[in-house]
Amino acid sequence: MRIAIVSTYPPSRGSLNEYAYYFVDHMRQKPEVDEVILLVDELPDGETYPEPPEHVRIIPAWKFGALDNAMRIRRTVQEVNPDAVLFNVQFATFADTRVAGAVGLTAPALVKQAGYVVVVLLHNIMETVDLSKAGFGANALMERITRTAGDVFTRAILSADLVAVTIPKYVEILEAKYGAKNVILAPHGAFQDAPPPQFDPNPSVLRIMAFGKFGTYKRIEVMIEAFKILREQLPGTAMELVIAGTDSPNSAGYLNSMKDKYADVPGIVYTGYVAEDDVPRIFTDSTIVVFPYNSTTGSSGVLHQAGNYARPAVLPDLGDFAELIREEGYTGEFFVPEDPASLAAAIRRYWENPDKRQADSMQNYLSSVGIPISEVVDWYLLHIDRLLAAKQPS
Amino acid sequence: MDMNVSMVNGTNVITLNGRFDAFEAPPLIKWFEDNVTKEQADVVVDLGGVNFLDSAALASLVKGMKRCRERGGDLVICNLQQAVRIIFELTGLHKAFVIAETREAALSA
Repeated sequence: MRIAIVSTYPPSRGSLNEYAYYFVDHMRQKPEVDEVILLVDELPDGETYPEPPEHVRIIPAWKFGALDNAMRIRRTVQEVNPDAVLFNVQFATFADTRVAGAVGLTAPALVKQAGYVVVVLLHNIMETVDLSKAGFGANALMERITRTAGDVFTRAILSADLVAVTIPKYVEILEAKYGAKNVILAPHGAFQDAPPPQFDPNPSVLRIMAFGKFGTYKRIEVMIEAFKILREQLPGTAMELVIAGTDSPNSAGYLNSMKDKYADVPGIVYTGYVAEDDVPRIFTDSTIVVFPYNSTTGSSGVLHQAGNYARPAVLPDLGDFAELIREEGYTGEFFVPEDPASLAAAIRRYWENPDKRQADSMQNYLSSVGIPISEVVDWYLLHIDRLLAAKQPS
Repeated sequence: MDMNVSMVNGTNVITLNGRFDAFEAPPLIKWFEDNVTKEQADVVVDLGGVNFLDSAALASLVKGMKRCRERGGDLVICNLQQAVRIIFELTGLHKAFVIAETREAALSA
């Protein structure tokens, strides 16, 4: 079987690149897969993709922000002629502007029209996104227009043979609002075969870490303010605040503005982009992983990673996280979103209770290894196999 | 979770009871690895006594099915309680597995 995957992929820094990295790495090793053809975004400044691993071909087939992405993707699919096409996307995959972003999301429909089996792994849906916080709702009117357009383009996505989402609520919404019959729940999966947990119940440094792309709904002000509170409350404790990641594509310059604003606060480390090889160290060096979100746009790969590396999580009391935790067995200490005092208190509860930290780390670890991505890939292959069989003339 | 294996008309029938989750999946996976061979590749899994299953449990059944099919057989599931059937439908796996209403139907599938 030859499968084309439309996605970002490292070294592209677009969202979902890490998910694609692990997904592709496992898919290429499946005996029934002859070739994975990655249809990726063009890298900036003439950069090129490195030599891909065995059984993987990389073809830059779209450009972040371009208006012709859907047509280019369909054309490239027709050229490589795979057995099936899988889209690994979220609503802002193709652009950070409404028109280009929305037009890009017609790609699954165009590829389907061209006669290919199309599966979409949709990491978030418009209905659960706070558009203003995600950088897409300048005012109420624009937000309404964006949502209306979102409905239209969600219907376009739903014309795929199969749409997989990772949260049960998304299935309910897509079935109820759009009458969809082709939406399934698929586990997110742990990023890699989980290493044995390394607990460090009595670290000498309280290292608080947030990981991701910041500036829209992931904002570090609340973390830094909480960090200042902790420094006052725990004067004898060595502590470090690690901001691991880059600006969100919708918030260029955000982290630099934070560096300027909080230049007087010692102990803050900005790592910049974290390469794949450095991800394990970033997590295992951390005492506590914090999720400084004021809304969410989907399930959290970072929470799965925190679990994968057996780390305790301090989480905002928000819908998606609460649901993910309940349904997938994760746990954490919760704080009121955007409330530094509440966040500082949640961090202290873990810091001052190593037993709870270790117990919750273990629970997150066990939850994350429940189903690794290698097995999630099997689910997709099973569905693709079934769809291809149904397409065969009887 | 209880797991019992019996041989009925030359087919292995696995009967599961109770909560089927990440902690219970490994023994089932090991059973598939140890017992599904080219000569013995058909398996029926009776889920009549299972009142809950999670993604790890489903993954173990997918693994088992793959192993059976790779060896020329199949894994047939039967006796799904309503709550379990909903999970299969939610994940679309009801279209990937052969699901029978009863054990007898599964054995003749």
